[in-house]
Amino acid sequence: MTPGKKRLSYSYYPGCSLHASGREYDISTRALFKALNVGLKEVPDWFCCGATPAHNVDELLSLSLCAKNLSLAEEVEGDLAVACAACFSRLKTTQHHLKEDDSKRKQVEVAIDGPAALNKPVKHILEILAREYGLAKLEESVKKPLLGLKVAAYYGCLLTRPPEVPELDDCEDPSIMEDLLRALGAEPVKWSHRMECCGANFTLSRPGVVLKLSNAILESARFAGADCIMVACPLCHGNLDIRQKEIKDAYGAPDSTLFGNIFGSELHGGSAPDQRDLPIFYVTQLAALAMGVASGSLGFESVITDPKPLLRDKQLL
Amino acid sequence: MKNKLMHLSNETMNIGFVKKVEALSGSSVRRCFQCGKCSAGCPMSTFMEHPPNRVVRLLQLGQGQRILAGRSIWYCASCETCTTRCPNKVDLAAIMDALRKLSWDADGPSKESYVQLANRLFIENIRTYGRQYELRLGAAFNMKSGQFLKDLMLGPKLISKGKLKMFHSKNKNIAEIEGIFKRIEEMRKKGEAL
Repeated sequence: MTPGKKRLSYSYYPGCSLHASGREYDISTRALFKALNVGLKEVPDWFCCGATPAHNVDELLSLSLCAKNLSLAEEVEGDLAVACAACFSRLKTTQHHLKEDDSKRKQVEVAIDGPAALNKPVKHILEILAREYGLAKLEESVKKPLLGLKVAAYYGCLLTRPPEVPELDDCEDPSIMEDLLRALGAEPVKWSHRMECCGANFTLSRPGVVLKLSNAILESARFAGADCIMVACPLCHGNLDIRQKEIKDAYGAPDSTLFGNIFGSELHGGSAPDQRDLPIFYVTQLAALAMGVASGSLGFESVITDPKPLLRDKQLL
Repeated sequence: MKNKLMHLSNETMNIGFVKKVEALSGSSVRRCFQCGKCSAGCPMSTFMEHPPNRVVRLLQLGQGQRILAGRSIWYCASCETCTTRCPNKVDLAAIMDALRKLSWDADGPSKESYVQLANRLFIENIRTYGRQYELRLGAAFNMKSGQFLKDLMLGPKLISKGKLKMFHSKNKNIAEIEGIFKRIEEMRKKGEAL
């Protein structure tokens, strides 16, 4: 599938979040692929991949759910495009484990009552954009470059870890998101917390964990001078966007902040600490915006930390 | 670790348990030489009574029950940083999965119940609906954990933003999911799977 010769086309596994709390990721992915003239066809009747809770307590169940989804995906032509970092990680892990471990594969085949289909390439939206569509062609397609927008590219955990599984980029020092941002005309900032965990699914059971970890991420992005954060995972988005006000309420006092502790009042020069709202964008929202897709069809109205003032300020709306 | 001596005894030693952990995780605990990189990079170690390297040390010494009695395994976020950075290829994230499974199957003695409750409701949701029904997940968690007011202000906001759906339809092929759950249960009953 060389771009330019044949129209790129993919089967698509959105995952549960993209049909609910992360709906703007789904909306903007579809809008972006349409704008780029790349085919995207949803796998019919897919199931939940089991995400973290399933593999946490029952690996066989997790592998079986993903194997079932991989066999459902066989019905649709094209490599499997996945937007959610957690679904992506689980599907890739399943392929990796079952190819290596015959006894596990046999158990899974009993569980799903059929052969395990392990050969369809599973690809994250990021690698489709940066590698298959290609950065050069993407740059050519930009209609509205994101000039002056300083973005903290946030990878989180599952896009690159563990090193053998996602095959997306370096596990400690990736650059795929920053490269993509540069192609869109935006300015990626250098910052410390791009690979740190946001607290993920503790948002339900122990939200205090999320407040602490996500606060460190937001603090680090502000300290680096970012206007906003770009994510590629609906769970990271949920924690950083939906809980942002709560985080501010919990950690907003001047000296309780991470960088406040390290640099003290020297950093703030006696003035009020940096408490800016940081809009959280999905990679597909920023890319679609740069492709000239109307902002009304990118799901900005569903986001809690309103991105519109920033976009208006940068003359991107 | 000042004033925190590790008391060991033959009575609590259980090598069979360690072998089970190694079989489930596909990773050796004996390869660990206690460099501590896993705990240094662990975002959750501040919430744990036994940081990751000590979990492995306790396993090396056959002290599995001490791990299960605590909260540590339930506070692992599965971020895979430990597995990524281990110089001896100890797959600590898989070991944590194995420990949680053994604790879960034994209806574990752990004090951490909220994480286990959230996991149980999440898996029940898959079996009942095929996909996650987030509103039900949140509501059921609040009811069953007795925290009726948790995120009370957040729910209506998310509903008005379209992020939580009030109603959720089951997958058409939901019977296939029930089949997967049933066949896994049968395999385990017959001793054909762990």
